[in-house]
Amino acid sequence: MEYPTILSVTDSELDLNLLLAGITLPSSGAAAIFTGMVRGVTARGEAHATLYLEYEAYVPMAEAKMQQVADEIRQRWPTVEGIAIVQRVGRLYPCTPTVLVACTASHRDTGVFDAARYGIDRLKQIVPVWKKEVGPDGEEWIEGDYLPKPEV
Amino acid sequence: MDVQVLLFATLRERAGRQRSIQVNLPDGATVADLKQAIRQAYPALQASLATVIVSVNHEFAFDPDVLPPDPEVALFPPVSGG
Repeated sequence: MEYPTILSVTDSELDLNLLLAGITLPSSGAAAIFTGMVRGVTARGEAHATLYLEYEAYVPMAEAKMQQVADEIRQRWPTVEGIAIVQRVGRLYPCTPTVLVACTASHRDTGVFDAARYGIDRLKQIVPVWKKEVGPDGEEWIEGDYLPKPEV
Repeated sequence: MDVQVLLFATLRERAGRQRSIQVNLPDGATVADLKQAIRQAYPALQASLATVIVSVNHEFAFDPDVLPPDPEVALFPPVSGG
Protein backbone atom coordinates (compact mmCIF):
# COMPACT_ATOMS: atom_id res chain seq x y z
CA MET A 1 0.00 0.00 0.00
CA GLU A 2 1.18 3.53 -0.77
CA TYR A 3 1.63 5.49 2.44
CA PRO A 4 -0.08 8.91 2.49
CA THR A 5 2.08 12.04 2.41
CA ILE A 6 0.43 15.45 2.81
CA LEU A 7 2.64 18.45 2.02
CA SER A 8 1.40 21.98 1.67
CA VAL A 9 1.81 25.69 2.18
CA THR A 10 -1.56 27.24 2.89
CA ASP A 11 -3.13 30.53 3.90
CA SER A 12 -6.06 28.72 5.49
CA GLU A 13 -6.57 27.61 9.08
CA LEU A 14 -4.86 24.29 9.92
CA ASP A 15 -7.45 21.59 10.59
CA LEU A 16 -5.44 19.27 12.83
CA ASN A 17 -8.16 16.59 12.98
CA LEU A 18 -8.55 16.49 9.21
CA LEU A 19 -4.78 16.28 8.69
CA LEU A 20 -4.52 13.46 11.22
CA ALA A 21 -7.35 11.59 9.52
CA GLY A 22 -5.51 11.99 6.21
CA ILE A 23 -2.42 10.14 7.46
CA THR A 24 -4.16 7.44 9.50
CA LEU A 25 -4.32 3.97 7.93
CA PRO A 26 -6.12 0.88 9.24
CA SER A 27 -2.66 -0.33 10.35
CA SER A 28 -1.86 2.90 12.25
CA GLY A 29 -1.99 2.81 16.02
CA ALA A 30 0.13 5.82 16.94
CA ALA A 31 0.63 9.37 15.79
CA ALA A 32 3.20 11.94 16.91
CA ILE A 33 1.84 15.37 16.11
CA PHE A 34 3.93 18.49 16.45
CA THR A 35 2.29 21.82 16.01
CA GLY A 36 3.78 25.22 16.62
CA MET A 37 1.77 28.33 17.38
CA VAL A 38 2.41 32.04 17.59
CA ARG A 39 3.78 32.86 21.05
CA GLY A 40 2.36 36.14 22.29
CA VAL A 41 4.60 36.39 25.36
CA THR A 42 8.23 35.33 25.28
CA ALA A 43 10.08 34.84 28.57
CA ARG A 44 13.20 33.00 27.36
CA GLY A 45 16.12 35.22 26.29
CA GLU A 46 15.09 38.80 25.69
CA ALA A 47 11.57 38.92 27.15
CA HIS A 48 9.10 40.56 24.80
CA ALA A 49 5.52 40.58 23.55
CA THR A 50 4.37 39.73 20.02
CA LEU A 51 1.27 41.19 18.38
CA TYR A 52 1.42 38.97 15.30
CA LEU A 53 3.75 37.22 12.86
CA GLU A 54 3.68 37.75 9.13
CA TYR A 55 4.77 34.60 7.27
CA GLU A 56 5.82 34.34 3.66
CA ALA A 57 7.03 31.39 1.61
CA TYR A 58 8.69 30.64 -1.70
CA VAL A 59 5.91 28.18 -2.38
CA PRO A 60 7.18 25.89 -5.17
CA MET A 61 10.56 25.46 -3.50
CA ALA A 62 8.94 25.06 -0.06
CA GLU A 63 6.84 22.20 -1.41
CA ALA A 64 9.93 20.61 -3.01
CA LYS A 65 11.86 20.87 0.25
CA MET A 66 8.92 19.46 2.25
CA GLN A 67 9.08 16.47 -0.09
CA GLN A 68 12.79 16.16 0.71
CA VAL A 69 12.04 16.24 4.45
CA ALA A 70 9.40 13.52 4.00
CA ASP A 71 11.83 11.41 1.95
CA GLU A 72 14.50 11.79 4.64
CA ILE A 73 12.02 10.73 7.34
CA ARG A 74 11.05 7.61 5.36
CA GLN A 75 14.72 6.71 4.82
CA ARG A 76 15.52 6.99 8.52
CA TRP A 77 12.28 5.52 9.93
CA PRO A 78 10.90 3.01 7.43
CA THR A 79 8.24 2.13 10.03
CA VAL A 80 6.58 5.54 9.58
CA GLU A 81 3.27 5.19 7.72
CA GLY A 82 1.69 8.59 7.04
CA ILE A 83 3.44 11.96 7.03
CA ALA A 84 1.87 15.43 7.06
CA ILE A 85 3.95 18.60 6.78
CA VAL A 86 1.91 21.80 6.50
CA GLN A 87 3.00 25.42 6.91
CA ARG A 88 0.47 28.21 7.21
CA VAL A 89 1.43 31.65 5.85
CA GLY A 90 0.00 35.16 6.12
CA ARG A 91 -0.65 37.24 9.23
CA LEU A 92 -1.02 34.98 12.26
CA TYR A 93 -1.92 36.03 15.78
CA PRO A 94 -0.91 34.57 19.17
CA CYS A 95 -2.26 31.11 20.01
CA THR A 96 -2.79 30.30 16.31
CA PRO A 97 -1.19 27.09 14.99
CA THR A 98 1.29 27.97 12.23
CA VAL A 99 2.81 24.62 11.33
CA LEU A 100 2.05 20.93 11.66
CA VAL A 101 4.43 17.99 11.32
CA ALA A 102 2.82 14.65 12.06
CA CYS A 103 3.82 11.03 11.54
CA THR A 104 1.82 7.88 12.06
CA ALA A 105 3.05 4.34 12.67
CA SER A 106 1.70 1.01 13.86
CA HIS A 107 2.95 1.49 17.44
CA ARG A 108 4.40 4.30 19.52
CA ASP A 109 7.78 2.55 20.09
CA THR A 110 8.69 2.59 16.38
CA GLY A 111 10.58 5.88 16.36
CA VAL A 112 7.50 7.89 15.46
CA PHE A 113 8.24 10.59 18.09
CA ASP A 114 11.79 11.01 16.74
CA ALA A 115 10.49 11.10 13.18
CA ALA A 116 8.15 14.02 13.88
CA ARG A 117 10.88 15.82 15.83
CA TYR A 118 13.28 15.37 12.92
CA GLY A 119 10.63 16.67 10.53
CA ILE A 120 10.09 19.99 12.33
CA ASP A 121 13.85 20.46 12.87
CA ARG A 122 14.54 19.91 9.14
CA LEU A 123 11.65 22.13 8.10
CA LYS A 124 13.21 24.94 10.11
CA GLN A 125 16.53 24.36 8.33
CA ILE A 126 15.66 23.92 4.67
CA VAL A 127 12.06 24.89 3.84
CA PRO A 128 12.06 28.46 2.47
CA VAL A 129 9.60 30.24 4.77
CA TRP A 130 10.28 33.47 6.67
CA LYS A 131 8.47 35.41 9.35
CA LYS A 132 8.40 39.02 10.39
CA GLU A 133 7.61 39.62 14.04
CA VAL A 134 5.46 42.63 14.86
CA GLY A 135 5.41 43.82 18.48
CA PRO A 136 4.35 46.91 20.40
CA ASP A 137 7.70 48.58 19.63
CA GLY A 138 8.07 47.80 15.94
CA GLU A 139 8.75 44.97 13.54
CA GLU A 140 11.69 42.70 12.84
CA TRP A 141 12.39 39.95 10.32
CA ILE A 142 13.41 36.72 12.03
CA GLU A 143 16.32 34.95 10.36
CA GLY A 144 17.41 31.40 10.99
CA ASP A 145 21.02 30.35 11.46
CA TYR A 146 21.24 27.37 9.11
CA LEU A 147 23.29 27.78 5.95
CA PRO A 148 23.04 24.88 3.49
CA LYS A 149 26.33 23.32 2.42
CA PRO A 150 27.16 21.73 -0.92
CA GLU A 151 26.66 17.95 -0.89
CA VAL A 152 30.01 16.19 -0.85
CA MET B 1 21.39 35.87 -20.86
CA ASP B 2 18.95 37.94 -18.80
CA VAL B 3 18.25 36.25 -15.50
CA GLN B 4 15.29 37.18 -13.34
CA VAL B 5 16.11 36.82 -9.64
CA LEU B 6 13.27 36.38 -7.15
CA LEU B 7 13.73 38.10 -3.78
CA PHE B 8 12.22 37.15 -0.45
CA ALA B 9 11.96 38.58 3.08
CA THR B 10 14.73 41.06 3.96
CA LEU B 11 16.23 40.87 0.46
CA ARG B 12 12.99 42.09 -1.08
CA GLU B 13 12.58 44.90 1.44
CA ARG B 14 16.16 46.09 0.91
CA ALA B 15 15.63 46.15 -2.84
CA GLY B 16 12.81 48.68 -2.42
CA ARG B 17 10.17 45.92 -2.07
CA GLN B 18 10.72 44.63 -5.58
CA ARG B 19 9.68 40.99 -5.91
CA SER B 20 12.39 40.37 -8.48
CA ILE B 21 15.36 42.01 -10.16
CA GLN B 22 16.99 41.34 -13.51
CA VAL B 23 20.68 40.83 -14.18
CA ASN B 24 22.50 40.16 -17.41
CA LEU B 25 25.11 37.42 -17.31
CA PRO B 26 27.25 35.70 -19.91
CA ASP B 27 26.39 32.07 -20.75
CA GLY B 28 28.28 29.75 -18.43
CA ALA B 29 28.13 32.23 -15.54
CA THR B 30 28.32 30.82 -12.02
CA VAL B 31 26.46 31.62 -8.83
CA ALA B 32 29.53 33.64 -7.74
CA ASP B 33 29.26 35.67 -10.99
CA LEU B 34 25.57 36.24 -10.28
CA LYS B 35 26.33 37.58 -6.79
CA GLN B 36 29.06 39.83 -8.18
CA ALA B 37 26.67 41.25 -10.79
CA ILE B 38 24.04 41.92 -8.09
CA ARG B 39 26.64 43.50 -5.83
CA GLN B 40 27.46 46.02 -8.58
CA ALA B 41 23.95 46.73 -9.83
CA TYR B 42 22.16 46.76 -6.45
CA PRO B 43 24.39 48.29 -3.75
CA ALA B 44 21.43 48.14 -1.34
CA LEU B 45 21.73 44.34 -1.35
CA GLN B 46 25.47 44.30 -0.72
CA ALA B 47 25.23 43.82 3.05
CA SER B 48 22.84 40.90 2.60
CA LEU B 49 25.04 38.99 0.20
CA ALA B 50 27.45 37.69 2.85
CA THR B 51 24.88 35.27 4.30
CA VAL B 52 22.45 35.10 1.39
CA ILE B 53 21.13 31.74 0.20
CA VAL B 54 20.84 31.20 -3.54
CA SER B 55 18.50 28.67 -5.11
CA VAL B 56 18.42 27.55 -8.72
CA ASN B 57 15.40 25.59 -9.93
CA HIS B 58 14.28 25.07 -6.30
CA GLU B 59 17.61 23.58 -5.15
CA PHE B 60 20.27 25.27 -3.02
CA ALA B 61 23.11 26.52 -5.23
CA PHE B 62 26.69 27.41 -4.35
CA ASP B 63 29.35 29.77 -5.70
CA PRO B 64 31.06 27.37 -8.17
CA ASP B 65 27.75 26.10 -9.67
CA VAL B 66 27.17 27.06 -13.30
CA LEU B 67 23.70 28.48 -14.03
CA PRO B 68 21.72 26.29 -16.43
CA PRO B 69 19.79 27.86 -19.35
CA ASP B 70 16.56 29.63 -18.28
CA PRO B 71 17.12 29.14 -14.57
CA GLU B 72 14.59 30.03 -11.87
CA VAL B 73 16.86 31.86 -9.45
CA ALA B 74 15.96 33.13 -5.98
CA LEU B 75 17.88 34.99 -3.26
CA PHE B 76 16.84 34.84 0.36
CA PRO B 77 18.10 35.00 3.95
CA PRO B 78 18.40 31.92 6.19
CA VAL B 79 14.91 30.48 6.59
CA SER B 80 12.77 30.97 9.70
CA GLY B 81 9.59 28.96 9.17
CA GLY B 82 7.75 26.79 11.60
